Amino acid sequence: MSVIKIESLVRDYGDGKGVFHVSFHVNQGEAFGFLGPNGAGKTTTIRHLMGFLKPKSGRCIIDGLDCWSERERVQARLGYIPGEISFFEDMTGAEFLKFIAEYRKIGIQNRREELLERFELEPKSKIKKMSKGMKQKLGIVAAFMHDPDILILDEPTSGLDPLMQSRFIDLIAEEKKHGKTILMSSHMFEEVERTCDRIGIIRKGRMVAVDSADTLRERHTCKYTVTLENESVAEAFAADFSGIRDGVKVTVTTKQSLEEIFMDYYGGEKHDEHSAV
Amino acid sequence: MMNIALYKREMKGSIKLLIIFGAIITMYISIIISLYDPEMMKTLDSFAEAMPELMASVGMKADAATLLGFMISYLYGFILLIFPMLFCILRGNALIAKYVDKGSMALLAAAPVKRRAIAFTQVTALVSGIVLLVLYSTIVEVFCARSGFPGELDITELFMLNGGLLCLHLFIGGICFLSSCIFSDTKYSVAFGAGIPIFMYVLQMLANVGGDAEKAKYFTFFTLYNPDDIIAGGGESVVSILILLIGAVILYTLGIIIFDRRNLHI
Repeated sequence: MSVIKIESLVRDYGDGKGVFHVSFHVNQGEAFGFLGPNGAGKTTTIRHLMGFLKPKSGRCIIDGLDCWSERERVQARLGYIPGEISFFEDMTGAEFLKFIAEYRKIGIQNRREELLERFELEPKSKIKKMSKGMKQKLGIVAAFMHDPDILILDEPTSGLDPLMQSRFIDLIAEEKKHGKTILMSSHMFEEVERTCDRIGIIRKGRMVAVDSADTLRERHTCKYTVTLENESVAEAFAADFSGIRDGVKVTVTTKQSLEEIFMDYYGGEKHDEHSAV
Repeated sequence: MMNIALYKREMKGSIKLLIIFGAIITMYISIIISLYDPEMMKTLDSFAEAMPELMASVGMKADAATLLGFMISYLYGFILLIFPMLFCILRGNALIAKYVDKGSMALLAAAPVKRRAIAFTQVTALVSGIVLLVLYSTIVEVFCARSGFPGELDITELFMLNGGLLCLHLFIGGICFLSSCIFSDTKYSVAFGAGIPIFMYVLQMLANVGGDAEKAKYFTFFTLYNPDDIIAGGGESVVSILILLIGAVILYTLGIIIFDRRNLHI
């Protein structure tokens, strides 16, 4: 059962920018990784899901509701981390979280404290004075605080250090276990590989691949068989490269990382970055 | 329809400006009213006679007989027009366009709050600020007049005058708000939100000078607020004020509808 559904979404900004007939869906309880370089149309697609933009053609549906015309009903169940978070700089972190709680009318029975602890965030300082990582953590807390069952996360780990990134990945894994539906855009292959069941790759506004993470990985597996001088060398080799030894022969398997898979879809063109629209 | 948390935040955001403008208005009103003195009047009249164009451009005319007439000449041409207008411009722009420009509108839009409710809350915050400023001015005027010149001020007339003033500023606020809702870029929001009222005020100053320039009065909405006519009790002035009030309602409604339907690149 698909919770998030995008059907032939089009928004043309001219000059080949925008999104063109993008379609994919995210099932209940599934984590979907949305990969693409900057300016590929990830954020534009997400803005349509959030009801910020009205589709030129095609439509976005979340839980059977139209993302544009019924956006406030959709929003009630959504948690969102914007790609570039812009807070009310005049507030402290704590004031901001209090404001969001009151604004959304979620009451005090929320996950605020648990999340602050998890990400070791001390929200007492002015947002203006916070580092990028702290702001990102604040954005995460604000998005998860009301315990939404659908999560739309636009590059959620940007600015986080590796420790916090891995805590975030743990959080996503837990949420998934609780049956939450997650759409996560990223260019961090590692986090997508570790957390997402299916992955969609977008390039220049068009979906180039949508497949399960396992299928994508399998498709790009290579095996090599190496013959070595003697058995003891072969054994050491097998141990070092986690290969399978058969006499002096060792078979090693390499998985192309998602990054390499990713680059395959982009062909030689590495310079198709342009500012996100 | 209204979001209390957002309203509280915006009122907090208005407080500084309200205090500053309130202080300036208090200072001017108390000084001007204390200047009311039949003897002193002659001095001011002589100024007005000596440089009629300059004095007239800011609404100051000779022969202001009563205390209220005196106040109309020296307060309702400049001080009580400019400061609430500045408030409308600054807050009007900050209420929608600034959030959209900076991207923090995403925080407000990504919540189960209707866009119409967001815009309506911002209108309420702007209107509250304008009402507070005009109401405060009225209180200061009554207080200064009562303590300085007991029995000299016709309270009913003052209320009518300030009721009209309120409608004028609601209309100006409407222009600022609409412009804030239309443009994503504060640059343009300010250009129109501030540009139109200021340009209209300059036309009004020109028209006040008289002569050929008086024709300018047909091109500025400030003409619709005529303090002398309101005091004189003409039916025409009531119609003008009603036009301002209805215009204000239309501008705010239009702003809310546009914000509700537009694309937000946030």
